[in-house]
Amino acid sequence: MKTEDLIRALAADTQIERPIARMLAVRLGLAIVLAVALIGVTLGFRDDLMLSLVMPVSALRFVLTAALGLVGVRLALVLARPEGRAQARLWPIAAVAAVALGVLIWAYAATPPEARQMAVMGKTMVACLVTIPLLSILPVTALLVSIRQGATTAPALAGFVAGAAGSGFAAMVYAMHCTEDSPLFYVTWYGIAITGVTLVSTLIGARVLRW
Amino acid sequence: MDDWGDLLAAANSGDGRAYAHFLRTVTPVLRGVVRARGAGLGEAGCEDVLQEVLLAVHLKRHTWQTGTPVRPWLYAIARYKVVDAFRVRGRGVNLPIEDFLDDLACDPGPDPTEAADMAKMIGMLDGRSAKIVQMIGLEGASTAETGHALKMTEGAVRVALHRAFKSLATLRERHVK
Repeated sequence: MKTEDLIRALAADTQIERPIARMLAVRLGLAIVLAVALIGVTLGFRDDLMLSLVMPVSALRFVLTAALGLVGVRLALVLARPEGRAQARLWPIAAVAAVALGVLIWAYAATPPEARQMAVMGKTMVACLVTIPLLSILPVTALLVSIRQGATTAPALAGFVAGAAGSGFAAMVYAMHCTEDSPLFYVTWYGIAITGVTLVSTLIGARVLRW
Repeated sequence: MDDWGDLLAAANSGDGRAYAHFLRTVTPVLRGVVRARGAGLGEAGCEDVLQEVLLAVHLKRHTWQTGTPVRPWLYAIARYKVVDAFRVRGRGVNLPIEDFLDDLACDPGPDPTEAADMAKMIGMLDGRSAKIVQMIGLEGASTAETGHALKMTEGAVRVALHRAFKSLATLRERHVK
């Protein structure tokens, strides 16, 4: 086929896909609402949910995880464009991780030595490590599907960002159930769950985000 | 904002003539990019890659943000597809030098704008889709004429044409793996 013939055929096709940002907003919004509903129905919200939103140390769980989700979504939208690879800046994700680490160190110093081990282990470590990855499936999928409709030239990196953002939102939703308010617990275990999901999503992205 | 930006913006809001103009304007530039990076593929091989790039530009044109420069976007797609083509054809490119000397010695070879891969993949589409792409591309029929010939509404032809291009991209991916 001559290139001119191909151009003529391409030009006759005036159907164009919808903008990625809008599709992502719809999908991710649905995923998060569904995750909240799932937590509400299965594990239930913590009784003092409203109070936990105003207690600084407890509210920080929502702030940190939501921040990770938001900077991740922003990055995902940049990386979904072919030229985005050159424009993507990863430092906001590193900054959120650094703040979380700072909070962890502060909590370590502020907790009496004999209470530290109990604070780290908590009572719900297993539930946390199981539930956050499960809740991540919806938002991470929403992000991967949307990036796939775009045209990323950095599939693994885009998968990484989708994993970080999606598991960030999942952890935020899980925090509505979880009553462990010590940063020694939540930075550690939320952090491990988020890291695990992000690694898996990086591997998936490297395969499914090619085009 | 440059001419390319104006053309692509018009194209993305549904102006088919601006879109054809855009594709014809960027094609020689893209051909140059592909040939500079893919010299080892030969002229016909480069044209195959160029057509892959054009198909990718077509299916991903919604990822261009109106108002931003077109070139970085376009070149990023071209670079990605050329690298991909090399990855795929890696072994094929590694031909002994004699083959190239033969090529140089014999007649000019195929029309440099003629490429084989796309035609092969169009052949893998279902009959009606292939017919639509061929009628519009090779015979220069309009969507209305195509619809008339195939007893379809013009709208159905447009939907089928769009699906055909998406299938071509998927076929190529599978073909490659």
